[in-house]
Amino acid sequence: MKIKIINDFDLKRQARELGVSIWQTPSFLFIILGVVIVLAMAATYYISKSYDSPEVLAVIECIVAAFFLFIGSFIIHEFEEIAKLNKAKSEFVFVASHQLRTPLSGISWQIELLLSKYNAGLSDKQKEGLEMIATLNARMARLVNDLLEVARIDRQNLFLKEEKLDLAEIISQVVQTNLPAIAEKNIRIIFEKKKRKFVVLGDAEKLKLAIENLIGNAVKYSLERGKIEITLTKKGSVYVFGVKDNGIGIPVYQQRQVFSKFFRSDVAMKHQAEGTGLGLFIAKNVIEQSGGKIWFQSKDGVGTIFNFSIPIST
Amino acid sequence: MVLQKSMMDFLSEEGFEVFGALDGEAGLQLAKKEKPDLILLDIVLPIKDGFEVLTELKQSDDLKNIPVILLTNLDSMENVQRAFEFGVSTYLVKANYKLEDISKKVQEALKM
Repeated sequence: MKIKIINDFDLKRQARELGVSIWQTPSFLFIILGVVIVLAMAATYYISKSYDSPEVLAVIECIVAAFFLFIGSFIIHEFEEIAKLNKAKSEFVFVASHQLRTPLSGISWQIELLLSKYNAGLSDKQKEGLEMIATLNARMARLVNDLLEVARIDRQNLFLKEEKLDLAEIISQVVQTNLPAIAEKNIRIIFEKKKRKFVVLGDAEKLKLAIENLIGNAVKYSLERGKIEITLTKKGSVYVFGVKDNGIGIPVYQQRQVFSKFFRSDVAMKHQAEGTGLGLFIAKNVIEQSGGKIWFQSKDGVGTIFNFSIPIST
Repeated sequence: MVLQKSMMDFLSEEGFEVFGALDGEAGLQLAKKEKPDLILLDIVLPIKDGFEVLTELKQSDDLKNIPVILLTNLDSMENVQRAFEFGVSTYLVKANYKLEDISKKVQEALKM
């Protein structure tokens, strides 16, 4: 009986998500409240049946009211604690991000100076070394950006601009940026850019980020000489984007977690150590907040297709 | 401040005449003295912060028409809105921009 209640209200998940014990979750406290109400009503009924005296009833009602206030104050206190914890968590991310960005900018710019204005006398090996530092630094900067997005999503503070943008154009740009990685792995990429525009209403920067994540993943998890197909079609009142790869795929037993924060599948970790596990979490939130849907199909060792839809702008 | 030095070095090499100040008050004095064509302003500054500087710039007849680019590592919607209310032409998050991109933005702002 206890296990069934725990499953129905998913107390375990709530406890995990809020970072408290099961007995402290608001749902559990509501259950206690419910039980107290039922017991109180039953007690009132039986006692008023046996004792025909308003004084006794009044006393019982006072005791019950006291119980409600007692448990009520517990529930309110728990909510307060959870809210405070949440606020502290995201404040930490905002402050830490700002502090981290200062040295990140510093390193990035110094390297840029060394590789451009002050590159006299640099050997090829030295240039290579500097370029590698710049790449790793850029990776850190991206991680900080991702963490900030995640903090904003958690706070439901994801601010999306509303501007008219051409999906096809954004996809082309993302493919362009990924060409070096694609060439390195000898991947064949197919994207038929039609002459027409695919105009939607959304935040160009954030949608580009989402598309970057999807196409970037296809490239990352493709094998040598793999094939990636990108499609963009009209289906009724939405545009549907698809990216299909014949790479490592996602094991079935892990597919439920694909959009969770920090999730990286076992095969992904074996295939490539780099990755934050935040990309799909952010992409899903951006797409859904833009009025769209995101879904995928995948088979371990065969490949993956990711799709999203966005309402057409009239 | 390391970041300011990198930026000043780069922009000098690009052919601009550059002056720098390390706090809001010093920046205001510098602007009054040199009457620059463009101001690159951070938000987090000692003595007077970026928004206080903007307020005073807009109050001075000499300085209110100088274009301002906000260059900061703070990244909140409230700050961006506030900046645009002051008529700031561009808001750039330093960590996301290379020096050559910032230089391009400077050139664009000067043309306007």
